[in-house]
Amino acid sequence: MGTEAGDRRDSRPRRDEEADVVIVGAGPSGSVAALHLARAGFSVVALEQGDWPDYADYTGARPEHELVSTKLWHPNPNVRDNPRDYPVDNSTTDINPLMFAGVGGSATLYGAQWMHFLPSDFRVRSLDGVADDWPYTYEDLLPYQLEIEREVGVSGLAGDPAFPPRGGYPFPALPMGSVGRRGALGMERMGWHWWPGSNAIPSEKFGELNPCVRRGTCLTGCPEGAKSTTDRSHWPLALKAGARLVTNARVKEIEVTNDDFASGVVYIDANGRDRRQRAKVVILCANGVGTPRLLLMSRGPRHPEGLANSSGLVGKRLMMHPFASVLASYEDPLDSWRGPFGQQVYSLEFYESDERRGFVRGSKWNCMPSGGPVGVSGAVGSKVYVAESGRFQDFWGENLHQNVARRFGHSLIWGIVGEDLPDEANQVVLSKDLVDSDGLPAPQIIYKVNENSNRLLQFNIDRCLESVSAAGAIETLVSAPVRESGWHLIGTTVMGSNPKTSVVDQWGACHDVPNLYVLDASTFPTSGATNPTATLMAVALRNARRLIAERRNQKVA
Amino acid sequence: MSAPEASRVFYGLADVLIPAFDRMPRFSDVSSWEDAQKSLDFRVDLKEAFARGLTVDLTGGAEKALETLNATDVEAFGAVSTIALATYYMNPKVRELIGYPGQENVAYDSKATQSYLTDGSLAKVVARGSKYRATPGL
Repeated sequence: MGTEAGDRRDSRPRRDEEADVVIVGAGPSGSVAALHLARAGFSVVALEQGDWPDYADYTGARPEHELVSTKLWHPNPNVRDNPRDYPVDNSTTDINPLMFAGVGGSATLYGAQWMHFLPSDFRVRSLDGVADDWPYTYEDLLPYQLEIEREVGVSGLAGDPAFPPRGGYPFPALPMGSVGRRGALGMERMGWHWWPGSNAIPSEKFGELNPCVRRGTCLTGCPEGAKSTTDRSHWPLALKAGARLVTNARVKEIEVTNDDFASGVVYIDANGRDRRQRAKVVILCANGVGTPRLLLMSRGPRHPEGLANSSGLVGKRLMMHPFASVLASYEDPLDSWRGPFGQQVYSLEFYESDERRGFVRGSKWNCMPSGGPVGVSGAVGSKVYVAESGRFQDFWGENLHQNVARRFGHSLIWGIVGEDLPDEANQVVLSKDLVDSDGLPAPQIIYKVNENSNRLLQFNIDRCLESVSAAGAIETLVSAPVRESGWHLIGTTVMGSNPKTSVVDQWGACHDVPNLYVLDASTFPTSGATNPTATLMAVALRNARRLIAERRNQKVA
Repeated sequence: MSAPEASRVFYGLADVLIPAFDRMPRFSDVSSWEDAQKSLDFRVDLKEAFARGLTVDLTGGAEKALETLNATDVEAFGAVSTIALATYYMNPKVRELIGYPGQENVAYDSKATQSYLTDGSLAKVVARGSKYRATPGL
């Protein structure tokens, strides 16, 4: 694994031991919960269906990187075809969900763009008359946000007028690079907002994280150990605090007593055997697809529609942030294979609602490098910009050389993240015929990009084309909505105060099962338009702190 | 199919996909069958479709064969083209020609003052004022 944690990582609880807490999933939210609960003296067992990452497997520094990463490190589990992931039935969705099973979770393959929600994201109903308000406010969450940023090792520049005044970032912003400067130039010429990127990548040595060296392969695993993922930022500390982590452990069921308290979980170990982990409290941190999948798989005679589902909302209101991208090429060199990949510059110019635009809510833009020659060729590796019906000669032969000459080293990509509004028709259900490597039902995604999102994306694409043209673009390629873009899995066990219209309360406790918690982004009533990891880790910290404070009052089986 | 026959077909297809153009060499000028086999070792998932792609009928010419393959067996077309493309751009001479050092390590001074702080560009963003919607009392 390459970290000291690897030497102390296996400490399976003894058979029949009852832990204070069992956590399902060792990604960003589960890691935060494990660290803070263990430090507070809870006995913590975390179950992760994947394994520890082996940093030698990350190919970013090797010549074969572009060839290997399009399979081994593809964010779509169906493409990766790794038995530790579960497959997803994508036959009924416009956007494919993207995820990764392993210690560190799907962040293993994220761009590390770090941006927490804005005040309006917590008050969508009050401000715009759609969706729902959160049970708490931006100001309530901000202290946890700042604390999480210190744990993660975020780099960035304070003072962005798109946010209320807030504390600074722990580390200086990463270098912007030619790509970021060109992106900013276009925004400046339009008189629009831009700001140097904030990323979960420390620019200096921090704990077990090394300083970023701009390798530019953030999305396919960081071979430098510089991108902040919780296998390095949280788990070494959590293990030191006494938390125990069992890898290759796929949870198949949450067990409940006759009076509707969770008593533990049943999981399948690396040898295919069923094992039981008893616990006073069960916490789900398995992402917006895995968490409802597990609740639905835990159905029984007294819960025929799934556990904690008296509202009928488990799995519903799935939000995935419809995403568009604009690739722009320029005459002069931009060294556009250099990182950081996440965001060298971002813009919140169109984040807030403006009714004159014909849609509600808004977007976040992030400016990224375009990568190596295979990716920008348009032929293989990135089919984002290739029409399915196109002739092969459009991308091969002399056109291949011309496309690479024009784009490679000379282009940038603006990613446009649009806020997704909740819709009960967009949902996670259990597949009737697709199963994972243990024979458990795979999730099926039913999801349509709605009209508001289509209008939102088109408006932002038009503005983005104006910006890149203002900076001198000689070629632009647009893709929207990008099918392989479901990185953000949100909303499928919505929080609220009314058990009839929500699955969990504001602390993540299930209304139906008071010692069963959800601490991942499944609980978000709305999605914002920022990358959700920052906010979901802060929410996990807030709710873990509540569990600690109320430990003597927690009802258990 | 024998290895010499397979390599002959592959070179024929790869040189249509990646011909000589301007200062860039064609595939077979810089990359070999053995290079392609090494690439396949990185992507064993492509081996079956790659082998199937090399059974395409070349009697009408390599371009016609690729059109047929793309229309009738897109998986095989994808395997052959992926291996050709990745092998070509892994070649050191090709990388030198396009100016690609690979995904390199670039040292920098994290405490260096960034130009946007001194050239006035970020100050203009700040001067345009706040953009967020405050939510007091909501």
